[in-house]
Amino acid sequence: MTKNINILLWISILLISAGINAQNTQATINSTLNGTVIDQVTNQPIPGVNIQIKGTTHTAVTDLDGKFYFQTGQKFPYILIVSYIGYVTAEHTATTDFVQISLKEDRKELDELVIIGYGSTTKKDYTGAAETVSSTALKATQRTLESSLQGSVAGVNVTQTSGQPGAGLSIRIRGGSSIQGGNEPLYVIDGFPLYNSDVTSGVLSGTPTNPLSSINPADIESITVLKDASSTAIYGSRGANGVVIITTKKGSASAMTVNYDFTIGQQEVRNKVDVLDAKGFARLRNAALYDTNPALGTNQYLSDAQIAALGKGVDWQEEAFQKGLVQNHQLSISGGNNQTKYAVSGNYYNQEGIIKNTGFERLSGRVNLTSKISSKARIGLNLTISETKSKVAPAGLITSLLSMPPTATIYEPDGSYTLRNPFENIFANPIATLNERKNEAITDRILGTIYGEYDILKNLVFKVSFGTDLIFNKEKSYLPSSIYEGLITNGEGKIGTADSRTWLNENTLTYSKVFGEKHNLNVLAGYTQQNSTKEFVTAGSQQFVNDVTYYYSLQSGNVALMPSSGESTWALNSYLSRVNYNYDSKYFLTASLRADGSSRFGKNNKWGYFPSFAVAWQISNEDFFTPVKDVINSLKIRTSYGATGNQEIGEYQSLATLSSVKYLFGDQIYTGFTPTRISNDDLGWELTNQFDAGVDVGFFDDKLNLTVDVYRKTTKDLLLAVQIPYTTGFTSSLQNFGTVQNQGIELGINTALGNTAFSWNSNFNISFNSNKIIALGNDAEFYTFGNYILRKGESLGTFYGAVTDGILQTADIATKGAFTGNATPKAGDRLYKDINGDGAFTTAADRTSIGDAQPDFIFGFTNTFTYRGFELSALINGSVGNKILNGNAQALELYNGQQNASTSALDAWTPTNPSTSTPRAKLDPAPIFSDRFVEDGSFVRIKNITFSYNLPKKVSEKLLLTSVKFRVVGENLFTFTKYTGFDPEVTNGTTISPGTDTGIYPASKTISGGLIVTF
Amino acid sequence: MKNITLYSLLLIFSLSACNPLDENPKAFIGTGNFYNTTEDADAAVLSIYNAINSSTHTLYNRLIQISIEMATDDYEAGPRARNAHVRALSNLTHDASNDRMLEIWRQSYDGINRANVAIDNIAKNPNLNSQKDIDLINEAKFLRAVLYFNIVRWFGDVPLVLHETTSLTPEAINPPNTPEADVYAQIETDLLDAEALPIVQPIKGRITSGAAKSLLSKVYLTQKKWQKAADKSKEVIDSKVYDLFENFADVFNVATKNGKEHIFSAQFKGLTNWNGNMLASTAAPTSVPGIAGDQADALHTAGGLFEAFAENDKRKYITFAIEFVSPTDGKTYKVAPHFNKYFDPTTPASPGQSSKNTPIIRFAEILLINSEALNELNGPTTEAFAGIDRVRERAGIDLLSVTSPSISQDDFREAVFEERRKELVYEYQRWFDLARRGPDYFVAKLKAAGKTNAQPKHVHFPIPQRELDLNKNLKQVPEWRDKEF
Repeated sequence: MTKNINILLWISILLISAGINAQNTQATINSTLNGTVIDQVTNQPIPGVNIQIKGTTHTAVTDLDGKFYFQTGQKFPYILIVSYIGYVTAEHTATTDFVQISLKEDRKELDELVIIGYGSTTKKDYTGAAETVSSTALKATQRTLESSLQGSVAGVNVTQTSGQPGAGLSIRIRGGSSIQGGNEPLYVIDGFPLYNSDVTSGVLSGTPTNPLSSINPADIESITVLKDASSTAIYGSRGANGVVIITTKKGSASAMTVNYDFTIGQQEVRNKVDVLDAKGFARLRNAALYDTNPALGTNQYLSDAQIAALGKGVDWQEEAFQKGLVQNHQLSISGGNNQTKYAVSGNYYNQEGIIKNTGFERLSGRVNLTSKISSKARIGLNLTISETKSKVAPAGLITSLLSMPPTATIYEPDGSYTLRNPFENIFANPIATLNERKNEAITDRILGTIYGEYDILKNLVFKVSFGTDLIFNKEKSYLPSSIYEGLITNGEGKIGTADSRTWLNENTLTYSKVFGEKHNLNVLAGYTQQNSTKEFVTAGSQQFVNDVTYYYSLQSGNVALMPSSGESTWALNSYLSRVNYNYDSKYFLTASLRADGSSRFGKNNKWGYFPSFAVAWQISNEDFFTPVKDVINSLKIRTSYGATGNQEIGEYQSLATLSSVKYLFGDQIYTGFTPTRISNDDLGWELTNQFDAGVDVGFFDDKLNLTVDVYRKTTKDLLLAVQIPYTTGFTSSLQNFGTVQNQGIELGINTALGNTAFSWNSNFNISFNSNKIIALGNDAEFYTFGNYILRKGESLGTFYGAVTDGILQTADIATKGAFTGNATPKAGDRLYKDINGDGAFTTAADRTSIGDAQPDFIFGFTNTFTYRGFELSALINGSVGNKILNGNAQALELYNGQQNASTSALDAWTPTNPSTSTPRAKLDPAPIFSDRFVEDGSFVRIKNITFSYNLPKKVSEKLLLTSVKFRVVGENLFTFTKYTGFDPEVTNGTTISPGTDTGIYPASKTISGGLIVTF
Repeated sequence: MKNITLYSLLLIFSLSACNPLDENPKAFIGTGNFYNTTEDADAAVLSIYNAINSSTHTLYNRLIQISIEMATDDYEAGPRARNAHVRALSNLTHDASNDRMLEIWRQSYDGINRANVAIDNIAKNPNLNSQKDIDLINEAKFLRAVLYFNIVRWFGDVPLVLHETTSLTPEAINPPNTPEADVYAQIETDLLDAEALPIVQPIKGRITSGAAKSLLSKVYLTQKKWQKAADKSKEVIDSKVYDLFENFADVFNVATKNGKEHIFSAQFKGLTNWNGNMLASTAAPTSVPGIAGDQADALHTAGGLFEAFAENDKRKYITFAIEFVSPTDGKTYKVAPHFNKYFDPTTPASPGQSSKNTPIIRFAEILLINSEALNELNGPTTEAFAGIDRVRERAGIDLLSVTSPSISQDDFREAVFEERRKELVYEYQRWFDLARRGPDYFVAKLKAAGKTNAQPKHVHFPIPQRELDLNKNLKQVPEWRDKEF
């Protein structure tokens, strides 16, 4: 197979060179040779390439422009061997005194660099389960860096927690294992470990800005997801939810490259929810009023004539949604020489929301520098500075948009806003809210690391780094007196600032040596310390004379609100070590140990120890494997076991602290103090033990690669706010409690086919995870949290509610009335199953498990086709078997005539329409959570389609540009799902209630076009 | 080279000293370094007051009204009471899963624990032995008694927790039921201790000796300890510390807060950094422009109480409003009778910002307690008439001794209860008065008001299911046990 490729390569090289040099093929003696070496795909010159005349020791190296020169006694034709790290070594036959040689990037799967904790390795040498996000997925991402994980890595489930521009995503690597201790992975950005935790003072209403949105995705060089314990145990108490390692683009020893990337696009809501129009709503309200008080007749709200005269009424969704413009500008400059390399970039991103007056802007800059300051010492800097601004849809807005009756108006006849729903259920006019309310956040972030490396001995490198992550967030809110929210307070302005200051120091020693040619040893030892302080301040006032100054002049309000401030600090000190050993690249062994001391835990439990162990066997490097190498070019089996922890519980949770409360006597306010919790000196780590076994196979010279992993992850001592009797004076106490298990199988297939003209690359991954609660503490069989239950043997995120059983018909009132849950059942009431068999339905006692939010499997399938300058890539992803709690539908199916309802209300039960699925309209239905609102959340969608075209070099050169690329991207254009809400890729942002879709800012679909110019 | 290594190592060691793992919160006070001074002790006691009433949906800021009081003949869930749990209480279809009752339970024990924290920590510190410190313990005991007196009447045998919960062992967090009589005994002990408080507090609104005696008379009355109730209420009356306002309206005026009739009240002040009285908002009209009626949860039950007031009863149009002047258009709007005791005309647009206090115990009630106890002891004697007639005289209606001088003991009892109903309506009293008369009386009164779901078990509320699930030592109220699943 290799031979065939070589022959193909040869032929193509010959053809190209023949084409270039068609005029002169004459042989000469004592020739001179001028040449350039370029990248086959980008047509960029490659500096530092080694060129050797075959059969001689005569070599040359390309300069910054990729040019080289020979003067030789050889006769044409002679053969050049062209080699450069990262490229396939080529042989080129020189027949004239000028050659252009294009090198093909070495895309061999196994030599791919894998960035791991505190180091890097190659895929071939790696013993753990880690996966690198493909460059296709990276390129497709412009919003936040996490979105490139969507569908591109096996075992990673990415779900949107809000469509709010700049909002976050929920990421689960190999399932969620914690109930309350946080399930999001650890991010390591250029070596700086951080959690994506909100920095907010609480002034902002609605979804806070995702801190990772401050990172410009275009700066990212690579994303690696660490999954098994062998990979993550080096991050100890923060490794249990997996680790996402991100590196940013660095300069190379080449001439300066300037790159400008511009994208402009448009977003719109993917799907609207069907609700009644004015006529339908008027009939529903009439029916509900009649049901309560039949004596007043069937048209207590509007007469039939009035209804007939109604138009469609206000479509509140239509009024709120808009087509949002998205634009992105990115300028990057990189280059360097053998001593110093640099990459500098600037980015401006502006995304209008699909809801009016919402949006997100980012302005960011990055500098990455490395420099050799002596033959033994190197220093470097990675620095990002960014500012993001968000205008956020306030909490409850989506619910109001759906529930606002279509017969209500946006404005009163006098031109002022209609304040609120005119009917019994009080909520504000959502359009007035969107237009007038100020709800904004600005976040500045400086994330930087400086490091130095020193070769103490030839094989011993000492590295020290100091990093800092400074986040300054300011939130501003104003509720004008012209809208309902500001009516009572006559205008309320608030400003809050929150800042987070983290510093990091890491010190590592790395020793690597090859003994006796076959014993490869790499040892890492280190000490790290990290410390983070968060503070916030808020101020506000009410009773403004007018709404002119917003939050800019709090002193203009007559009543000052109590200011508030707070502080919290955590510290983490760690010792880490790892040994990698392999014998002859056949037998691999990795062992690691990290000791973490965290301030967050009880005084009896400050330190935790997290070991891991892995072995691998590269079978294909054995001699006996040689006969099948043409088919299976590589085969590795590997297994690992280890421990990781979770410490995401916030600060001071083990201490009995006091909080302040107020009381008033006369006109004087006094301050009191009361304990907030019972101390728990034993509070400790959540511990995850994970077993993983995997196999990596490469077929046909890596044209096809297959990776399979099976794992079992058992998390014990779960951090849970255990409910305790209220008679203690407290609600709950954070304890280590219970065990959860995740086990599953992951399959990844990569293919790389084609030649220089046409290529087809694909990545398919599918992962099955099953999540199960093994034990709960206190001998409890189950715990309930709102609409969820935690029960032994079931998975986290199991919904707990009633089971519907049709509609009560007139003839059945006597026999089935007890199953409506109503004291006085009437025909048209919804029936529920009597789960406990006591002969009646009650909301409290007749609940059961009605599905869970865990998918049976998730998958992603990326295909990239290139033909000459054209490239087409498409990402299809999906999730199967997960359920969604459609909270919006629950509100829309009250059919109470006090707020708008789903169009299913048109089929509501009446004596003449004895519906068997939709209950009758009535004014005060008890909102019972049932399986009716648990929907299949399975979906398949074409997440992303990107089509791009590289202008031929000849054309771009005429424009005095190195390269020009055009791009068209479509996101979320096609979705296949039965889910009736806005979008199936949705989850509540809180850990404890996954899969709840209530009032979440809907997802969008986007079409954008772009241009990338390299100077 | 060696120097670099050395310096680096030095730097690392010096840094490690900067990153201690002990938590020393700056924004929080730890329990370990508190309760050292009288100021600390005072702050601990203030937090108990906060548990009595603070923001909306706290015990004496609306929560008892929209839960307990809904289950009586004088109130029903209004159009804005959309919470199914509130409606269930109003219809008497509530069960152990009722979330309002759970919240009542939670807040009551939260307050009790705050009291226990204050009592334990002040008492155990040998430096806290001034008169002020002793007074603070007694204030805490009084507030603990207020809370236990409520829950023992709502739930009967309740866990009697008298010390701060400091441990998470099963024994520490799972107390069993304590017999009702023992709970009452503790309430009496606490109140007898609290009698040692000053007769007048330098800060008006804080608990006094008179408040302890007054509440104690009510505790005796509830237990049908008639002699003690009569004696204790007489002690309060004879002390001359308290008196009726001449004008009934002054009971609910902002200017006369904590006046001579007020023995102990929930303190409110709107449009400040404290809280307004949400009962004003709970009873606001929904149809008057410029008055926010969006929290109008409590309606007076039609055809009952309002009509029972004589037209010349001075209390009638202070207790109720039948018209409101719109603050936006100046027009007068007629409405169905709305509770008006707490409507603050200075904040019409946002009734919940009312600065009026809610009396928890006031002198008029002491007079009625005295009359009731004396009637139970000796029948309608002249002494027994004295209390109720002072209340009726102030109301401007005929004295009972004049209209019915030869009234029977039973009718006198009924007259006192009817007077309590009118005098103390919308002051968190009705349910207690109905329940202490027993199941028959309770059911009859509710059925008469059209609440046909009323049953004998409703003289208690079921202990919340959550508590029974978590605490296996806890037993449901006997009348409610058939509802256990």
